[in-house]
Amino acid sequence: MKKWCIIGMVGMIIMSMSLFASAQEVKNPDIFVEATIGTIDSLDPAWAYDTASGEAIQTACETLIFWNGERTDSFVPMLSTEVPSVENGLISPDGLTYTFPIRKGVKFHNGEPLTPKDVEYSIERAMVQDRDGGPVWMFYEPLLGVDGSRDAEGNIVVKFEDIDKAVEVKGDSVVFHLKNPYPPFLSILANTWGSVVSKKFVAENGGWPGTEETWKEFNNPAPGKETLHKIACGTAPFKLERWDPGVEIVFLRNDDYWREPAKLKRVIIKMVDEWTTRKLMFLAGDADTVYVPRQYIKELEGVEGVKVYKNLPSLTQGSAFFNFKINPEGNPYIGSGNLDGKGIPPDFFSDKDVRLAFAYSFDFKTYIKDAWMGEAVQPSGPIIEGLPYFEMRYFLEKKFYHYDPKKAEEHFRKAWDGEIWKKGFKLTILYNSGNVQRETAASIFRDNIEALNPKFKIEVRPVEWANYIRDIVTGRLTLFIIGWLADYPDPHNFVYPYMHSRGTYSQWQHYRNPIVDGLIKRGIEAVDPTIRRRYYEQLQMIYYIDVPGIGLHQPLARHYERDWVKGWYYNPILPNAGLGGYFYSLSKG
Amino acid sequence: MKMRNYIIRRVLLVIPVLFGVSIIVFVILSLFSPEQRAATFITDVKQLRDIQGVIKMHHLDAPLYVQYFSWIKEVLQGNLGWSRTASRPVLEAFFYFLSNTVELGLFSAPFIILIGIYLGSTAAVHQDKSIDHITRAVAIIGWSLPTFWFGLVLLMIFYGYFKGLFPPESLGLSSNLYVNSENFMRFTRINTIDALLNREWWIFIDALRHLILPVITLTVVQCALVMRIMRSSMLEALGRGYVTTARAKGASEKTVIKKHVRRNAMIPVITVSGYLFAGLMNGVVITETIFNRKGLGWWWWRSAVQLDIPSILAAVLFNGVLFVLTNLIVDLLYAYIDPRIRLG
Repeated sequence: MKKWCIIGMVGMIIMSMSLFASAQEVKNPDIFVEATIGTIDSLDPAWAYDTASGEAIQTACETLIFWNGERTDSFVPMLSTEVPSVENGLISPDGLTYTFPIRKGVKFHNGEPLTPKDVEYSIERAMVQDRDGGPVWMFYEPLLGVDGSRDAEGNIVVKFEDIDKAVEVKGDSVVFHLKNPYPPFLSILANTWGSVVSKKFVAENGGWPGTEETWKEFNNPAPGKETLHKIACGTAPFKLERWDPGVEIVFLRNDDYWREPAKLKRVIIKMVDEWTTRKLMFLAGDADTVYVPRQYIKELEGVEGVKVYKNLPSLTQGSAFFNFKINPEGNPYIGSGNLDGKGIPPDFFSDKDVRLAFAYSFDFKTYIKDAWMGEAVQPSGPIIEGLPYFEMRYFLEKKFYHYDPKKAEEHFRKAWDGEIWKKGFKLTILYNSGNVQRETAASIFRDNIEALNPKFKIEVRPVEWANYIRDIVTGRLTLFIIGWLADYPDPHNFVYPYMHSRGTYSQWQHYRNPIVDGLIKRGIEAVDPTIRRRYYEQLQMIYYIDVPGIGLHQPLARHYERDWVKGWYYNPILPNAGLGGYFYSLSKG
Repeated sequence: MKMRNYIIRRVLLVIPVLFGVSIIVFVILSLFSPEQRAATFITDVKQLRDIQGVIKMHHLDAPLYVQYFSWIKEVLQGNLGWSRTASRPVLEAFFYFLSNTVELGLFSAPFIILIGIYLGSTAAVHQDKSIDHITRAVAIIGWSLPTFWFGLVLLMIFYGYFKGLFPPESLGLSSNLYVNSENFMRFTRINTIDALLNREWWIFIDALRHLILPVITLTVVQCALVMRIMRSSMLEALGRGYVTTARAKGASEKTVIKKHVRRNAMIPVITVSGYLFAGLMNGVVITETIFNRKGLGWWWWRSAVQLDIPSILAAVLFNGVLFVLTNLIVDLLYAYIDPRIRLG
């Protein structure tokens, strides 16, 4: 039976590789089909915080400015006629006022003309809505200097007056008043949460009418109750035709677009869970681009009619974070909870020598080769390639940790006044089941550390994602391996979650460093790029010296398309950048 | 009258069944901490920034009985909640996915049952002859084939090798755009039926093309069970005294098999077929996934994996209703097939 299964499998692979090898004619020349796996959560720009939704929103809505082709540090004007800068006078010298002259002659998909009022409304509506766990903190932080509209208990703590004053219409322009200078503010506006929607359309569909009296009713709606959950009315080159959640979303060309209408008539994003089905659709020409899981990349190597773009740097980083103060309550991952060879104390990783020993025990080259098939680079800290200020002094000096068992042993011998080396330890590293990369990383830690001293015991154990998250947020994990995807391409979006005492990951690690908090604050408030560079250099250096975590990988993405697709380009900050990218630039034939 | 009371009593049985299973589900859910359940709402690790907000938003920290009664209250008002996995209200998602499942079930079930019955009775009539051996071997091979593997092989051959002859999904691109346009009236959301009602034959044929492979997959894999039951039941009936009597009275072999053996052998087959049909109505995850026909099976599988509680509860309720009704129909069919069986 086993033999037959193997023969069958081999036959299937050979068949699928060879059947489509012959040249094909272009199917549906004006329809672009993307076959992927991501589920769209919502079409509301003020709600969506995932890449699948972002891709759909970006197709139907536009922002004031947009990314300049492949660049993440330069913009082109969209609904604004100019990209504000200090030089053109649209950003005040103190960095607190941004002015956007609004383009005339632009129409929404419902035929209504775009006005500065719509722009003001769109941003204020996002701040009014501000759902829990959503993206709108990115507006609150620069505009009001707070995390969001509510406190930890869920009480509204901001005044409508402050929201209203933060964004104002002045003549044909919209002016943003920032609480403090915030250099990445343009990047935030260029992403989907900065999408401009029709005020009339939203109000007609039961959304916030723009008045102070009702704003609290529209704050933090329940899932699905956000007005633009399944409807859209932007100004983009495509308009929403239909969305069947979990199945597909269809966009139709907007022939009344303010630029040249798109070359494609329709864009369809299909959700196809099964890889082989997706692959067959791609090879049959029924899909023009397809999501390829990393373990299957060899199946499309050298297939005729398929174009592959490789080594595309993504703005994602995966790291291992040490927990400085492990929660010992009913915690099975720290053994006895003492330094007695049968467990670890809760503050095991507060000793820097332990962290350094772990860092020197990790074989980065093997990890990238085995877990990423060589398609990743080792990060040198929170600030990764593709972000501003990446090319820094520490990088040029090659400040990376590397696999060095001698140094690892040296630090283990020094750690905890030699007690660790003498008595040994036992701990558990978890990974979420099915995540091959995290499993590989945890196994490398285990194998290399156990090889140093027979008294060192590390158990690697898979758990379900829900349990993994529970154990992270309840502080039970000894160290956790997880990734971070950029919201906007700026070092602040990485150093804050990685290093600030209130950062997403650092807070779960109990990593506190007042100097770091101060540098992060100064870094985000500095307007002068030279000064900013200095702060981020220091932060990156502190991360290297202090080792609160270890950067494991920055993946290099791939893009697959049929050879009849024209006009695709890669910008890592676009949602689902490795798939369709920016559909307006695409054509077939 | 007796029969009507019996049916009413059996239908009313649905209520305590649903109540019981919903309590069981909630008790099981109480084993998960608010953080674990919040984790299932995390679509992006960035939301870890505000996990307490996620817990609050979904009332995951409320006592279980509070959550249960608030759910019951909503259900009684006809609101089954929001399906996170389907990004729409549970009831809307249910009817959306049901159409694909019903279509696949309606087309598969007759083939599975009829072919199973035919093969079973053929094998029984020719017991221990080569046709019996071949039939049984084919059925066992079909039963042993992993659905996942068999479906993919079919897809590779009939979609890959024969250049899109029988494609995956429910409809082709043009048909799909057409049925979702204003020119096409959606009556049932079942493509084949709606195509017939709209008299759009090309849509009907296209929908059939897309049904062929999943129907073959299900038939090959599932008809073995019906075949085995039919065969053993037939063999048992063939040895009964009334068959000998019928033969002694000079009835032709065809009449004996058709009137005396097959009819009496049908009782266990009806039971199996009832549950088989209920299973098909419940969705067939693997077939739906391979052929990318999003139905109830696919939706509930995703809901279970992502702990989408309102959807899981809907699945439980639907299954409760489905199996109570299936049992009832099976019992009624017993009485119809065998008049000796009395209900009440």
